[in-house]
Amino acid sequence: MHAVSEAAPLVGDGPAAGHPFMPAWLRPAERAMRLVNRAMLGLGMLGLLAAAVVLTSSVVTRYFMHASTDWQDETAVFCLVGATFLTGAFVQSLRGHIGIEAVSGLLPAWAGRLRQAGVDLGCLAFCAFFAWKSWTLFHEAWVDGQTTSSSWAPPLWIPYVLMSCGMTLFTVQLLLQTVASFNAMAKGGVR
Amino acid sequence: MSLVVLGLLFACVTLFVMFSGAPISLGLGAVAVAFMFFFMPASALDTVTQNVYEEMASITLLSIPLFILKGSAIGKSRAGQDLYAAMHVWMNRLPGGLGIANVFACALFAAMAGSSPATCSAIGSAGIPEMRRRGYSPGFAAGIIAAGGTLGILLPPSVTMILYAVAAEQSLGRLFLAGVGPGVLLVALFAAWAVVNYRREYRRAERAFTARGEPSALLSHDRFTMRERLEMLPRVLPFVVLLIGVMLALYGGYATPSETAGLGGLLALLLIAVVYGVWRPRDVKPILAATLKESTMLMFIIGMSLLFSYVMSYLHLSQEAAQWIVGTGMSRWLLLATILLMVIVLGFFLPPVSIILMLAPIILPPLKAAGFDLVWFGILMTIVMEAGLIHPPVGLNIFVIKNIAPDISLRDIIWGVLPFVVLMLAAVVLICVFPSIATALPDAVMGPMAGAH
Repeated sequence: MHAVSEAAPLVGDGPAAGHPFMPAWLRPAERAMRLVNRAMLGLGMLGLLAAAVVLTSSVVTRYFMHASTDWQDETAVFCLVGATFLTGAFVQSLRGHIGIEAVSGLLPAWAGRLRQAGVDLGCLAFCAFFAWKSWTLFHEAWVDGQTTSSSWAPPLWIPYVLMSCGMTLFTVQLLLQTVASFNAMAKGGVR
Repeated sequence: MSLVVLGLLFACVTLFVMFSGAPISLGLGAVAVAFMFFFMPASALDTVTQNVYEEMASITLLSIPLFILKGSAIGKSRAGQDLYAAMHVWMNRLPGGLGIANVFACALFAAMAGSSPATCSAIGSAGIPEMRRRGYSPGFAAGIIAAGGTLGILLPPSVTMILYAVAAEQSLGRLFLAGVGPGVLLVALFAAWAVVNYRREYRRAERAFTARGEPSALLSHDRFTMRERLEMLPRVLPFVVLLIGVMLALYGGYATPSETAGLGGLLALLLIAVVYGVWRPRDVKPILAATLKESTMLMFIIGMSLLFSYVMSYLHLSQEAAQWIVGTGMSRWLLLATILLMVIVLGFFLPPVSIILMLAPIILPPLKAAGFDLVWFGILMTIVMEAGLIHPPVGLNIFVIKNIAPDISLRDIIWGVLPFVVLMLAAVVLICVFPSIATALPDAVMGPMAGAH
């Protein structure tokens, strides 16, 4: 039985070679997506480091300068929300979003392919819906000039646009993988 | 549709989606959205994303990636091996000292890194071969490391406890402190078992030697000079200083828990740069990439679990289930035992993060009504989920061990681990009988909790 945990170790640092059942006409898109994901991973790293630096500076300025620290927490939140959503597609490209594989491991190969295609399609539908609703949320925040409720009051469209971009990339990544899964099912290859 | 039918439908659909092998995060999100579509007003669907964002945009939750950064910075450096070597040299004189050294090294590493599998592989990759070379049976060696690794989610900073603090609306600082006493208790129990079992294996080796002249590595002893011992210190001290410094910043009132996370992450990167010369972008990038892979996966699960709980509570499923539990009129301790049993069963197929977020709205109100201290319960729940990390059939740590020592049979590992599962359940009983094991330290540092029983 496959185990899941709060910290399942993931192997490999970069996306592996392309999906064996990616149709030829989609290969360029797959390659482009790989480049985009690598760029997003870089942005995510910067966001992570920036959040650590901002929070550390918050401790230091409070201690030495007795200055109020109202902007640091929200800046860190924006950085980390951005890092999380932007790298969602990258993690999906490695199939790093863990699931319970206890039952799927027992299925015969053809049923496994059917299951994979179905699961990918369902996930795709959910992500597409989520991405769509993220963009409408962003649009509203942009048009109404919404801000957070703190005294610093940064505009809310910043985290929303990060979430929207991230979920859109996630959707594109899933679209590619879904096509490949259906192709695998049609050709009956063993994955 | 009656609530009972709706609840059953919700449970069945969730189970089906989970076992379909879909990513846990997307699966939970999809179930939540589907039930919103069919059973909630259309306006609910419009605010799905806002809902997820608002739940996630808490700096306490978002400190998780930073705690993971600290863990992977330390986990990817040689700190684990050094820590282990130092413990070995210092504990050498005790009977079963090597086993004790492994337990202590696991505990210290877990406190720095905050992750069970990371602790298992960091300490185990050095500790298991060494213990076997000294004649420890393979199962015993594997058990010590698998169990030692679980200390990762009990000792602060633990991701599981951050989530529990958010879900149960308890103070994170208090929870972290409450984990220390039980953590020390478990370390002591594990070390005691290491000594007892070492003695047993030693006597067996002695009998085999006198009867048949079979030599055993267990019977030979090493001696280390004081100089050798002192030489080990400079490599370990910086990490112990990091551990203590971060805790002082938190409890001295200089930093909030999330600031502590940022500070700890940055200091850990700085330390491995200074101590191990890991500072070039090509050295640091894999650490950051590994952090993002794990934290993004986790944050997606957390965000979608929160959406899932929101739907459950909007449809009154969690309230209804909670009321039903209260209505059964179980005695307090039976209630507690039932809930812990439920956590164990769920631990068979769900990661601790989802268990906490999905179960909290159902089980916490009845526990509160029964007069239990929720910080204290958080510790019990954590220990039980830890036991889930090492007990068959799914225990993740067992598979980590299988990875670093492939030649030990699964059967040996499981038999070696079982005594530790028993010890953990014994610790749960002890903490029930003497709640102050968990509550004394936070009460002493932060003052007694308002409204505690």
